[in-house]
Amino acid sequence: MPDLPSNVICLPQTNQLEALLTIIRDKDTNRGDFIFYSNRIIRLLVEEGLNHLPVVDKTVVTPTSVEFEGVGFKGKICGVSIMRAGESMEQGLRDCCRSVRIGKILIQRDEETALPKLYYSKLPPDIDDRYVLLLDPMLATGGSAIKAIEVLLSHGVKENKILFLNLVAAPEGIEAVTKKYSELKIVTASVDKGLNDKKYIIPGLGDFGDRYFTLP
Amino acid sequence: MMSTNKNNVFLRGEGRSPWYRLDGSKFDCYLVGVAGGSASGKTSVAVRIIENLNVPWVILLSMDSFYRELSHEEKMEAQNNNFNFDHPNAFDFDLLLYTLKNMKEGKRVEVPIYDFITHSRISQKNSLYGANVVIFEGIFALYDQRIMDLMDLKVFVDTDSDIRLIRRLKRDISERGRDINGVIQQYQKFVKPAFDQYIQPTVKNADVIIPRGLDNLVAIDLITKHIQRQLHERQFNFRWDLLKSDYNFKKIPENVIILDQTSQLKGIHTIIRDKNTHLDDFIFYSERLVAIIVERALSELTYEEHEIVTPLNLPYVGKKCTEQVCGVSILRAGGTMENGLRKVVKDALIGKILIQSRPKTGEPSLHFVSLPDNIHECFVLLMDAQIATGAAALMAIRVLLDHDVPENKIILLNFIATPLSLHVITNAFPKIKICTSMVDPKINDETLFIEPGMGNFGDRYYGTS
Repeated sequence: MPDLPSNVICLPQTNQLEALLTIIRDKDTNRGDFIFYSNRIIRLLVEEGLNHLPVVDKTVVTPTSVEFEGVGFKGKICGVSIMRAGESMEQGLRDCCRSVRIGKILIQRDEETALPKLYYSKLPPDIDDRYVLLLDPMLATGGSAIKAIEVLLSHGVKENKILFLNLVAAPEGIEAVTKKYSELKIVTASVDKGLNDKKYIIPGLGDFGDRYFTLP
Repeated sequence: MMSTNKNNVFLRGEGRSPWYRLDGSKFDCYLVGVAGGSASGKTSVAVRIIENLNVPWVILLSMDSFYRELSHEEKMEAQNNNFNFDHPNAFDFDLLLYTLKNMKEGKRVEVPIYDFITHSRISQKNSLYGANVVIFEGIFALYDQRIMDLMDLKVFVDTDSDIRLIRRLKRDISERGRDINGVIQQYQKFVKPAFDQYIQPTVKNADVIIPRGLDNLVAIDLITKHIQRQLHERQFNFRWDLLKSDYNFKKIPENVIILDQTSQLKGIHTIIRDKNTHLDDFIFYSERLVAIIVERALSELTYEEHEIVTPLNLPYVGKKCTEQVCGVSILRAGGTMENGLRKVVKDALIGKILIQSRPKTGEPSLHFVSLPDNIHECFVLLMDAQIATGAAALMAIRVLLDHDVPENKIILLNFIATPLSLHVITNAFPKIKICTSMVDPKINDETLFIEPGMGNFGDRYYGTS
């Protein structure tokens, strides 16, 4: 694995995580298994991401009437999914954060300029006060991610309060995003070899949104 | 029968006390052999001993289950009442030896069921597990030296031959609808010669001979007292003795995996430990925590290289887990972890072991075991919410080992463990792994609750407090 910028966190490559990634990369994996095992990886990503949020000391009394010195969560969070594929990560997010607010951003390639263009966004009104878990399973060129981050920043979100979660990232995408934004954090489950001439991640896992939502 | 209304706990019968020592090694089960001629009253004597003993977990095993399968010709002979079922040759002594040996070692055994109509074994078997005492009765119980070597007490029931013939006549005619000439013919041809030639001589192998069978109350009483005395020597105060164990608590044993103490983990713990946390939050966060613990434990399983093709038709060498996962919950509190396990391993087999503490002594006792048949081929994630002294976990592990699960294929999962329990368990079973989310320092000497701990986890999760 190439050296990663300090604001990129790759999950520990345990046997188990490798086995999970093998299942979702396999083109013969059916949709039921694809969803189940993707969700497991997404939960690991969310758990890791949440660990980068601040906490405050908190002491509680247990049923044995003894004090426990623990911590309490500090600061509000919300999820923002980059449609459509990012929405596949909402279930995993909710498995860890039950009533989390979720914003949406739709970005498509502009036919004329071939550049990513914002088509739709709907974000919680107080998003400027929140930590944002930005969701997109695949980080390829980084084009739409950068566009989405621009949208968040324009709504007043602090850059250092953005955690960008993805399952598979290409080094090109990581470089593009981190070159522009050094304060946000990227949490990924795997850094792949690179992109092919069609800008697909290789070895990758195909079109995540299709496999999660529509492929038979 | 035991029940305590206050807490709405109802337990039928008495559980099984520990059948192993602190170091994990087992006491052999106590094996009594009861021999004697046909209709001498062996079964009645055995049943009377069991009633007098009045201890749970006693198994009566009959030699009738070990008739061997007959060949086609022998079956024809049997149809015509020409096969000698009173001859040693009619029994499968090797299978009997194998079964009794495993029973003696406390393992689960499969006892065949013999069909007297077809003279063969039916495909089902009786699965027996968990006997502290086995009473084995049969005409040739004291015939094979290898089998007698396993016995702790050998009894011969010596009943007068006239009385045995009378009983046999009564039984075969009124209960089995046979005609009197047939019964007498069989008695003369097979039963009597076999007794004189093979059974009667085994009386010299017996430790105790009971004349007059069931009528001999004094003899039965003496035998019962002897067995009770031998069993009593094995009892000790398990859980309280564990508290006195002396280990270096600063050092966490090898094979213990403690989750990284991340801020999320501490935050989740703070919520589920807080006595004011509402039930729905308690359930949500404890299930979230189980998923984290299980994910960590699964990294300890065996994986092999696995080559696949991605949707872009590129080859990719990844990994694949080679093991079937079976969760086993130590009920009741361990059952709270099943949901979290299924979130991660959707097709996990689930086994259950009910262990309760005796109200007066706090000793663990085993009440119920239900495990998949192929558990010896599985990787077992043994689940209990908290382990304080480790007494219940030791018992559950012993059950798994008795079912032939290899020691290095067990990981014990829990939310909170104490240094004591970690040492007790890894000391008894060094190949077992334990994966816990946090270690709490102390056990309350009076309540045996972990402090600070999280109280009675089962009560909180199931809402029964």
